[in-house]
Amino acid sequence: MKNIKINKITVTALVILSLMGCTKDVDFNQLDDASIHTTFISTLIYLNLTAPDFLNDLNQEIRVTSDFIEPPITDETKPYLEKVEFTVITKNTFNRNFKLSITFYDALGTPIYVLQPIINVPENSSELTTIVEIPKTDIPYIYNTKYFVFSIILSPSTDGSVILISDTSKFDLKSSAKLFFNYRKI
Amino acid sequence: MRKYSLIIFLLLVFAIGYTQNKQVLYDFAGLPQTLLLNPGAEVENKFHVGMPLFSQVSAQGGFTGFSTYDIFADNGIDINDKIKAAVNKYGTAEFVAFNQQLELLSGGFRLPNNDYLSFGFYEEVDFLAKIPRDMVDLFYEGNTVIDRQYSIKKLAIRAEMVGVLHAGLSKKINEKWNLGIRAKIYSGVFNINSKSNSGSFYTEEGTHNIYRQHLDNVNFLMQTSGVIFHDGEEIDGSYVKSKLLFGGNLGFGVDVGFTHHYSKQWTITGSILDVGFINNSKNVESFIAKGDYQVEGVQLSFDPDNPENYWGDLKDDFDNSTVLDTLYKSYISFRPVKLNGSASYSFGQKYDDCRFFTDRGLYVNKMGFQLFSTVGAVHSYIAGTLFYERWINKYLQAKLTYTADPYSFSNLGFGLSTKIGIFNTYFAADNLLSLQNIYDAKSASFQLGINFIFEDKN
Repeated sequence: MKNIKINKITVTALVILSLMGCTKDVDFNQLDDASIHTTFISTLIYLNLTAPDFLNDLNQEIRVTSDFIEPPITDETKPYLEKVEFTVITKNTFNRNFKLSITFYDALGTPIYVLQPIINVPENSSELTTIVEIPKTDIPYIYNTKYFVFSIILSPSTDGSVILISDTSKFDLKSSAKLFFNYRKI
Repeated sequence: MRKYSLIIFLLLVFAIGYTQNKQVLYDFAGLPQTLLLNPGAEVENKFHVGMPLFSQVSAQGGFTGFSTYDIFADNGIDINDKIKAAVNKYGTAEFVAFNQQLELLSGGFRLPNNDYLSFGFYEEVDFLAKIPRDMVDLFYEGNTVIDRQYSIKKLAIRAEMVGVLHAGLSKKINEKWNLGIRAKIYSGVFNINSKSNSGSFYTEEGTHNIYRQHLDNVNFLMQTSGVIFHDGEEIDGSYVKSKLLFGGNLGFGVDVGFTHHYSKQWTITGSILDVGFINNSKNVESFIAKGDYQVEGVQLSFDPDNPENYWGDLKDDFDNSTVLDTLYKSYISFRPVKLNGSASYSFGQKYDDCRFFTDRGLYVNKMGFQLFSTVGAVHSYIAGTLFYERWINKYLQAKLTYTADPYSFSNLGFGLSTKIGIFNTYFAADNLLSLQNIYDAKSASFQLGINFIFEDKN
C-alpha cells in the first residue's frame, strides 16, 4: 500500500512538473528600444585627370569641368539611413587650386542640395584626405535625387599662368562612402 | 501581397524557431504512434483507431544560437547590450528549426496471418535554416572590416508543408525478429530548398580607388514551389486543404524498421524513415546567382561631347560577369532521412510488490540508450538519449529521458501513457529543466494524443 502511495505521489509530481511551465520576467516591449547600428562602406568615383581634361579644343582653360552620374535610388533604406560620410582623397601636382563640388538634382533637373563644405584642393598638394558628411536632417535629399553632378572648378592662377597642353601635372581623386544605418522599429 | 502570404508565414515560423527527434515517444508503451517512428515496432493490439485530429499532435522547435530570455529578460540590461552579447557568442553557423505534425486519421488492425497493418494520414510542416555567422556579422556590423570575407558557404534553407498518406506492415518473423515497412505518398503544399551555396563578399584596398569590392565565386540556388504565384491563385484554407489532399506536388517515400530480441532481456531496435522524394512541378520558381565580380568604382571621364551612362555601364559589366536568373523548371526535393536506433535492457518482475498484475510483457522496467539522426543535404543532426521506462501500475506507463543534442546537454524528457479499457491517452515533452523558465529554452517539443486500442484477447 505504501508503495502505491509513493507511486501516486511521484506520478502526480511528474504530471504537475510536466504540465506547469514557469517563466521568469521578460519584457517584449523592450523591442521598441532595440536598434542595430550597421555601417556599410562602398567604393565611389575616382579620377585621373591630366592637362587636356582642363582645356578645350582651342587649348583654352575650362574653368568648370563637370560630369554626372545617375544611379537608381530606391526608398527601401530611407527609414533606416541616418548619415552618409564621404571620404575623398586628392593629390594635385598642378600649380593651380581646385574646388570640388557635388550637386544633387531632382527629376525636374532642379538642384536641390550641394554637398558642404565644397572641397578645396590646394596647388601642388600631396595626398589629402577630406571627410564630408550628409547629416540626418539632409538625408531626404538623397531620396529625391535623380542624378549627381560632379564639378571641378579651376581657380585662377595668382601669377597669370595657364595650363598648357604639354603640362604633365596630374589631378587624382579617390573616394568612398560610409553609410550609417539604424535598423529599429518603425 | 497575396503571393507573399506564404513567405510571411514562413518568417513567422522562423521566429518560433526544430528537430524531429521524438525521443520520449520512440518505442514507448506500445503506442500505435511508435509505428510511425519504427514500422518494425511490436504492437499487441487487435486493432486501434486514433481519435480523428487528436491521435497525434506534435510540435518541436529550437534555435541553437540564443534563447528568447537572452534577449527579452526584464533584468535592467539594455536590450541592445543583450543583442550584442548574443551576437558575440553566435557560433560559426547556428540553425533554427521547427517541425509540426498533426495526425488527421490513424488506424490499424491485425491481419489473419498475425501481421499488423497500420495506416493513416498526417500533415507536416518542416522548416530549417542554417545561418552562417558571416551573414549575421554583415547585417549587424556592416562591411567596414577590410579584407574580411563574408561567406554564404554554410547558408542553407529547407521548408516544406506536406500531407502524408501512409500504410505499413509490422511482421513478426520469429520470437527474435519483428520487421516492418511503411509506404508513404506525399502531397506537397510548398517547398523551399537552398543548399550547397558558396561564395563570399569582401572589400580590400584598391589600386585606382580607396577600395576594391569583390563578389568571389558566388554560387547560390534557391528552389521554390508553391510559394510564388502569378496566376491569381487564392492562398486560403481550401487551397492548403486541396494541396494537402493530393492536389499538390506528389512524391513517394518508405520507412523500414526492426525489433530484435537479442536475448530475453536485451532488445535492439532501429528504423530509417522518409527515404523519399517529392517531384516539385507546380508553381515552381527558382533563383540562381553565380559568378565573380569586382569593382573599384566609377572613373568619370568629364567628356561633355560623349556623356557616358556610368551606372548603365556598371550594370552591364555586372550582368556580363554574373548570372542572375529565374528558373521555372520542375525539381526533385528529398525528404530529410531520419535514423532511429535503440538498445534496451528489461528487468523487474511481472508481478510487482503492490500485488497488481502488470498485464503486459515480462518486465516492469526498461532502460537503455537511443540514437537519433537526421541526414539531409541541408543539415545533419545527431542526438543521444538515455532512458528509463516503467509500468507504474496496470493503467499507467512512464518514460524518463536524458538527451544530449546540438541544442543542449541538459535535456530531460518525460512521457506518460494511460490505458483504461480501450481508451488510451499519452503525453510526452522534453526540456523539463527549462520549465523553470521556458523563455530560456533553446528548444522544446511535445507530443500528445488519444487512441482507442482494442487488445487481442488471444
